[in-house]
Amino acid sequence: MRIALLVALKDLRQRLRDRSALLVSVVAPLGLAVIFSQLLAGATGFDATYVVSDTDGGSLARILREDVIGAFADGETIKVVDVATEAEARAAVEGGTADAAFLIPPGFSMAIGAGQAATLEVVGAKNEGLSTEIARALAQRFGDGVVAVQLSVATAVDLASAPPTEADIARIAGIAGGAPPPVALVDSTTELRQLTLATYFSASMAILFLFFSAQIGLVSLFEERRQGTLARILAGPIRPWTVLAGKTIGSFALGLFAMTVLVVATTLLIGARWGPPLGVVLMVVTAITAAIGISTLVVSFARTEEAAGAASAAVAITLGILGGTFSPTAQAPEVMTTLSLLTPHGWFMRGLGEMAGPAGTAADCLGAAAVLLVMGLVTGGLGIVRARKLVRAR
Amino acid sequence: MSTQPDDAVSPVADSPAGAAPAPGPVVEPAPRPGPAAGASVVLAVRDLRKRYGDIEAVKGVSFEIRQGETYGLLGPNGAGKTTTISMICGLLERDGGSVTLDGTPIDVGAVAAKAGIGYVPQELAIYPDLTARENLAFFGRLYGLGGETLKARIEEVLELIGLNERGNDRTDRYSGGMQRRLNIGIGLLHQPRLLLLDEPTVGVDPQSRNAILESIAALGKAGMAILYTTHYMEEAERLCDRIAIIDGGEIRAEGTQKELVALIGQKDEVRLALTGDLHSAARAAGAVRGVTSAAAKGDIVEVIATDAGRVLPRLLEAVEGAGAHVRGVELVTPDLESVFLHLTGRALRDAE
Repeated sequence: MRIALLVALKDLRQRLRDRSALLVSVVAPLGLAVIFSQLLAGATGFDATYVVSDTDGGSLARILREDVIGAFADGETIKVVDVATEAEARAAVEGGTADAAFLIPPGFSMAIGAGQAATLEVVGAKNEGLSTEIARALAQRFGDGVVAVQLSVATAVDLASAPPTEADIARIAGIAGGAPPPVALVDSTTELRQLTLATYFSASMAILFLFFSAQIGLVSLFEERRQGTLARILAGPIRPWTVLAGKTIGSFALGLFAMTVLVVATTLLIGARWGPPLGVVLMVVTAITAAIGISTLVVSFARTEEAAGAASAAVAITLGILGGTFSPTAQAPEVMTTLSLLTPHGWFMRGLGEMAGPAGTAADCLGAAAVLLVMGLVTGGLGIVRARKLVRAR
Repeated sequence: MSTQPDDAVSPVADSPAGAAPAPGPVVEPAPRPGPAAGASVVLAVRDLRKRYGDIEAVKGVSFEIRQGETYGLLGPNGAGKTTTISMICGLLERDGGSVTLDGTPIDVGAVAAKAGIGYVPQELAIYPDLTARENLAFFGRLYGLGGETLKARIEEVLELIGLNERGNDRTDRYSGGMQRRLNIGIGLLHQPRLLLLDEPTVGVDPQSRNAILESIAALGKAGMAILYTTHYMEEAERLCDRIAIIDGGEIRAEGTQKELVALIGQKDEVRLALTGDLHSAARAAGAVRGVTSAAAKGDIVEVIATDAGRVLPRLLEAVEGAGAHVRGVELVTPDLESVFLHLTGRALRDAE
């Protein structure tokens, strides 16, 4: 073990002195995580401004404005602005100051109270499809509610034989419009457990480039063979497996160093929220194990330094794509989500996702961590058995 | 063409019972100038064999090296020198034979015993991105050195190889000669019982080569057992107490330089440029004790003698006594090149 640590320390000294290793392990993933998270933060954010022209002024129009549209306005993501006329509302949409307009015509409340058809017009801006869709959905919700109230009232009239007044209808509609939905749906998978953009890119770049760090140790065996130092080491009083062990320990230490720097730096620089520290440590350690295991297996098939480097890079990028490091698999077809589970990248992101949200704990990532550990041990075991030929007497 | 000289002599005198005798002619053991009398055998190689497919790279090589002895394996590239040395230090599996260091078998799996070997490979084997001190420290620790002992040895070795001023520089900033010296220094660091030097001066400029050879000669004098492979005849002649001529994976002959030369039965030649009566001079020269023959050819008298160095004063006295005046003397002694040519039918340089 002493020899393995000697080899590992020597390797670390070389790698830290070699700026390209630091570039690949730390600078590149950190830089890309910062760039992607900043670039795409604007592209994926949502906000909308709606204008309402209430030229009716009736009680039902007020309910629509205050209880339905107003309920969604939070002053930040969705803003609602009142204008006096239909023309002003249209101008706001045309001029780009509003994403959609609700046009409540004169006689709107009266028509509904009389059980007649009423028109509520929604005008959407050309390039604001999502904002317009939300506006339409709000209008539709109100319309559905009105129909339900009209049916209820009609039924009540049939039973009581006493026609309701407009005030009765407004009161009933108000109750219907302001009532909470009978069934509340909380989607914890897509909302609470989704990584923030900064966390997603920090984690995805970290695991992607971890594979490049992980391969450095074993690939350096080829370098040592080329420069004759491997033969010199093996001529000494050592057991050959200790060289492999040293290379693996060196890779692990480099991976751990890189991941630690990335977790801390992305947390401080771009506000990544990796999750509970214990869980993050578990995910990082098992991810490094998986990365080294797979890299060892890949490199064990190579005959030259160049082939080892090329094969490792190809595998790292392929697994990265399949594992959702370039785009979240949650937004990809089902088959991609399934394929991502064949990769350590997919499980790493999944493990961090499980811990995301205010109620997340380290225990939530145990499943993903176990999968990563098994991946690492199985592939690493096979790789070490195959890689023994690299340090064996010929 | 036969490479077996008719006057080839006895098998290895000190081969243990049951061990295969060294192939090819081997001269009788003579008093060795290097090792002290009764010096213990450090390395014993017996019937070493290695085959790559149909090619038998090493065909039953046997030899011994005693404490304080520098033993040379002289042969062209591809003769089996590196394969032999690689099997000795456990880098190559051997197909047959045995290697012992101070009586302890050395095998691929041997760990502790290999600590007694210092290996200097033919190609540079140093880390270019580490300094000389860092290179030495890493390999020193590999051999179990540490603490003050390691520090002291690093300084000693840097002094020996003349790199103490540049010890903190990265080795990729060294000249080729400096890298070569460090390559050797690493092999010496742990003060091994046996130093294996595999063509350590290949590609080295003459000045650095001279410095390297002086360092190795000093190590031999200090009592280290050294196995030195080379295809440079001059290096073998200068450094080695005993030399084995190796070609085609087998040792063709073994002994001191003098023994090897004697083996081929070739004598020294003295060319005397004279004025005066050359025929009288030739007759007088032929009568000198130790002279085999003498003949006048033009203004030269060619003399064949068994030991020209010893005969020369009497020879000059004889020809001048016969009335001739000596204008010049040329002494031609047979060397290892002649031995190699005699044994293999090829010149050493042609065989590379």
